Amino acid sequence: MKGRYRWPDGVRCAVCLTVDFDGPSHETGRKLRPLGANSVGRYSGRCGMPRYMELFERHGVPTTFFMPGFDAECYPELVQEAHQRGFEIGSHGYLHESWELGDEEAGLLERTHDILTGLMGTPPTGWRSPSGRKSARTMRVLRRLGYRYDSSDKDHDLPYMVEIDGQRQDDMAELPSSAYSLDDFPFYRFSMTPPSEVLEHWKQEFDSLYHENGYYMLMVHARSGWGSGTPARARIVEELITYIKRHEGVRFFSVGGLADWVRENHASFD
Amino acid sequence: MPASTSSLPRLASPRWPGNAQCVVLVTINFDAESVDLTETREENLYGRYSYGRYGMRAGLARLLEAFANTGTKATVFVPATDAQRHPAALDAVLQGGHEIGARGHAFEDHGSLGEAEFETLQRAHEALTTACGHAPVGWRAPRGLLSPATLGHLARLGYLYDASFEDDDWPYIVRDDDGRRLVELPQFQPLQDATFYEPRHSHVRVLKTWKEEFDAMHAEGTLVTLTVHPRGDYGSGRAARARVVEDFIGYMAARPGTRFMTCRELASWWLDNQPGTTEGMPPG
Repeated sequence: MKGRYRWPDGVRCAVCLTVDFDGPSHETGRKLRPLGANSVGRYSGRCGMPRYMELFERHGVPTTFFMPGFDAECYPELVQEAHQRGFEIGSHGYLHESWELGDEEAGLLERTHDILTGLMGTPPTGWRSPSGRKSARTMRVLRRLGYRYDSSDKDHDLPYMVEIDGQRQDDMAELPSSAYSLDDFPFYRFSMTPPSEVLEHWKQEFDSLYHENGYYMLMVHARSGWGSGTPARARIVEELITYIKRHEGVRFFSVGGLADWVRENHASFD
Repeated sequence: MPASTSSLPRLASPRWPGNAQCVVLVTINFDAESVDLTETREENLYGRYSYGRYGMRAGLARLLEAFANTGTKATVFVPATDAQRHPAALDAVLQGGHEIGARGHAFEDHGSLGEAEFETLQRAHEALTTACGHAPVGWRAPRGLLSPATLGHLARLGYLYDASFEDDDWPYIVRDDDGRRLVELPQFQPLQDATFYEPRHSHVRVLKTWKEEFDAMHAEGTLVTLTVHPRGDYGSGRAARARVVEDFIGYMAARPGTRFMTCRELASWWLDNQPGTTEGMPPG
C-alpha cells in the first residue's frame, strides 16, 4: 500500500494515542467487588488518568479518554477536570458491558450519554465499544443520539465513512483500531511482555504504517494490573511520543479531532 | 448509581521517611497447604497438590537466605492453619527478624463469608497470635478477595494496616464510621511473582520486567511492593527463582535513595505523618 493513500494538508501519518479509562465498572459489571486484587480499576481514577493528563499536556499531544458511564459517576470531578483542561471524553459503555445486551442496549447507551453530557455540559461525540462488541443496532442508536464517530471496528487500517442500513452516512466516521497489536491488553494480560519490548513492538508498527502513509491508533488503559496507568508503562507511551515526533509530516489528533477532519475531507476516505 | 469520590485524586509525590526517594516493601505470602486444601482433601496432598509443601521443605529457606544475604527485613503473611502446621518454618521467619502478618484462617474467600467473616478473622488472629507469641498488626487477603466489611472488621480487631489493594501509587488511610483508622499499603501486580509464573513465563522475563518497572517507580518516587511466594508452582522458591529475587533486591538496593521497610514500620510512619491522606471506606 506504499504511497497509495494521500492525507490532506500534506500530512504523512495521522496519530491518535487514546486512553480507555476502564475503572471499577469493569469488575462491578462482572459481579466482582472492586476491592483488593480486584481494585485495579480504582487506580484509573486515583493515579492513571491524572498521570496521562499530565503526560499528554507536557507533550502538547491531544488525546481522547473513553469512559464508561459508571466510572464517570464514581469520578465526576475527574471528568469535569479533564473536560475543562481540553481533553476529549468519549463514551465507552455503562458497566463496560462486553456481553450481548439485547433490548437493554439503547437504554444503556442513553444512560452513559446523559451522564457524560451532564458532567461536561456538552454531549460526547464519539463512542468506543467496551471489548469490541457492537451491532448494527448499536450504530442506529448512536446515530440517533448524534454521535459523529465510532472507534470500535477492526476491519481496516484507515478511517472511513460509516454505512448504516446500507446508507452511507456523510456525517459519521469510523476510526478503526486493533486490539491485537496496538493495544496494551494483549501484552500485559497474556504475553507478559516487558515494557521495553512492547515499546519496540509499537515503534515497529509505527515505522510500517508511516511508510504506508497510514494512520496510527493506539489504545492503552488507565488502570493498573493489565493496564498502562502505572509508571513503567506510562513511561513507554511517553518514549513512543518522543519517537513519533521525530518523524516528518506527523500530526497528533484526538479521535474527535481526526473524525472532524475525516468528515470534512470525506472524499479522500471513500 | 455508585458512590462518587469527593475530591480529585492526588498525584504529587508525598514525603517518604528519611526523605527517601522511594520505599520498598518486600513481602512473602506464606501460602502452604492451606491453598491446596481449598481444592482438595488432606489425603490428596500429593503430586500436583504438593507444591505448597515444596514451599515449606525447600522454598522458604531459600528466600530467607536471599533476605539474609541482602540484609532485607521482609513481611510474611501467614494463613493461620499453615502457621499451626509448620511451627519450625514460622520460627525461622521470626528468627530472621521478619514481620509476620495475618492471611486468613484456612485461605478463605473473605468476599463470601458473610456473617461468619468477623469470627473467622478473630479465630485466625488468635491462632496466629498463639503461634507467633505476639499479635499481628497487618493483614493481606487470601487471593486478594475482601468483602465491603473486611477493612472495618480489621480496624475493630486493632489492626494497623491492610496490604491487599492494587489501586494506588502510595499508601493511604481509611476511616470507618466510628473513626477507627487503618493504613492501606497497596500492592502492584507486575511485581508479584505469580503474575508471571502462573501463566508459565520464564524467570528471565521476570527479572527483566521487574527492573524496568522499578526504574520508573523509583524515578517517580512511588511505593514499591514486591510480593513473592515460597511455593513450587507459581512461587519463587525454586533455586533459579530465589536467585531472581535476590538479584532484584540487590538491583533496587544499589539505586540511591531506595529505602527498605517492613509493612509495620511504613504503616505506623504513614499514620503519624500523612493524616491528610485519610478517606472513607472503599465502596464495595
